[in-house]
Amino acid sequence: MSAAGRWLADHCITIGSPIALVAAWEWASAAGLLRAAFFPRPSTIAVHLGDLALDGTLWGHLATTLARIGWSFSLAALLGVATGLAMGLWRRLREGLDPVFAVIYPIPSVLFLPLVSFLVPPGEIALVVTTAVTSFFLIAFTTTHGVRQIDRLVVEAARHYGAGGWRLFAAVLLPGAMPSIFTGLRLGLGFALIVVVAVEIVSASRGLGALLWLSWQVLKVEDMYATFFVIALLGALLSYGLAALRARLLPWVPEVGER
Amino acid sequence: MGIAVPAAVLALWEICSRLGIVSPRYFPAPTTVGWTLADRLIAGDLMGDLVVTLTRLAFAFTLAAVPAVPLGLLMGMARPVRDLVEPYLAFIFPVPKITLLPFLLIILGVGEPAFVLTGASSAFFQIVISTLGGVQTMDPRLVEVGRNYGAHGARLFFKVILPATLPSIFTGLRLGLGLALVTIVAVEFIAAKSGLGHLVFRHWQMLSTPEMYAAFALVGAVGLVLTRGLRALQARVLTWQEDMGV
Repeated sequence: MSAAGRWLADHCITIGSPIALVAAWEWASAAGLLRAAFFPRPSTIAVHLGDLALDGTLWGHLATTLARIGWSFSLAALLGVATGLAMGLWRRLREGLDPVFAVIYPIPSVLFLPLVSFLVPPGEIALVVTTAVTSFFLIAFTTTHGVRQIDRLVVEAARHYGAGGWRLFAAVLLPGAMPSIFTGLRLGLGFALIVVVAVEIVSASRGLGALLWLSWQVLKVEDMYATFFVIALLGALLSYGLAALRARLLPWVPEVGER
Repeated sequence: MGIAVPAAVLALWEICSRLGIVSPRYFPAPTTVGWTLADRLIAGDLMGDLVVTLTRLAFAFTLAAVPAVPLGLLMGMARPVRDLVEPYLAFIFPVPKITLLPFLLIILGVGEPAFVLTGASSAFFQIVISTLGGVQTMDPRLVEVGRNYGAHGARLFFKVILPATLPSIFTGLRLGLGLALVTIVAVEFIAAKSGLGHLVFRHWQMLSTPEMYAAFALVGAVGLVLTRGLRALQARVLTWQEDMGV
């Protein structure tokens, strides 16, 4: 058997079952076994998705959501890595901030929207800052963990060879913490997507979350499915794309804290 | 040291609010929020919403955990099941589960089942993935040793595989419970007319900030108790396992 044939034989269930499911759905919905009002035929959904893409609606919302994710992720990454490194390096700071983080972290980020909207001008900025909250904590946590799990022997050896201050940080501590930082960034980006969609559902008139919610409110069920599909695609792209990037950039270490 | 920083932040906030450096309308003094919290908890309406949220959480968590653990174990042990389920898992897992809410709302109608199932879905996928990961990363030598000593079938499962996977299952349950709480509160904020999430939303709209912060603090407290409590429980029950989770 050829390599491609073997690969197909190996993955026949994995590839076949979604195809079978979509085909069964198409048939059941066309035959009236599924209520088309709730479960429109996949082919109809695809047509609606095409319409949304062609008249530009989809791209506008997608661009808005991507821009928001970009801004909040940058904000969260910058502050999160800096805070995490500082917490990893200075015990007193860590002990001081730990209880604050412990209380704030489990609070769902959407709830920060009211608070943030008191602090900064409501609208786009409030949306971006709210989205950044959870990612910030995740990135700060994993970065702290990354600094703390560095082998003490490595640090001591570096000290003995005369590395100190900035050199110790740039040549030993930062690379040592890198795998954790990357995991944090990846999780943070994933959460930015989750939160931005939730926040858009609550308060935005543009963006994929808003498109989904507005489609529900006017009962455009096909548009709901189409939007959902785009959000899922975006999620898969972000999470698997970053995992692949990580495997390329940091091939020597297994994933940290990944479960 | 542990409480010095939070105490300092609260004290600073109190002073700024009392002196009018920050607007007390938007940032009421922590003592005011504290009194409101105590008052409303005793008077009952805050307690009522707390109970509503916790009930939804309990239902969502149970609905997620009961099918998710066996499915994860089965996927880990039987290759065809894994092949069958994995594409859906991979497709749905990275999706914000809150996007399932509008679908459940049209199918089930606006009401508790839709709210609870949205919460359950976020926990379900996490628990399946953690459980599956546990089976896949367990030391294959354990199974071999078990087999060599004549264990197979149910005995092998209960004496070797399940104990070895237990830490991962527990981690999955812990993370799942946290995710379910986050999702439930978000759903309440968006769509429900009761629960702590809705309280924050309502008092935000009415600009009754002390009540808003009180509800906010209560959500934080519930989250803290759940995450810290389960972490401590995990450390006690599964003492042999090293936990380094996020």
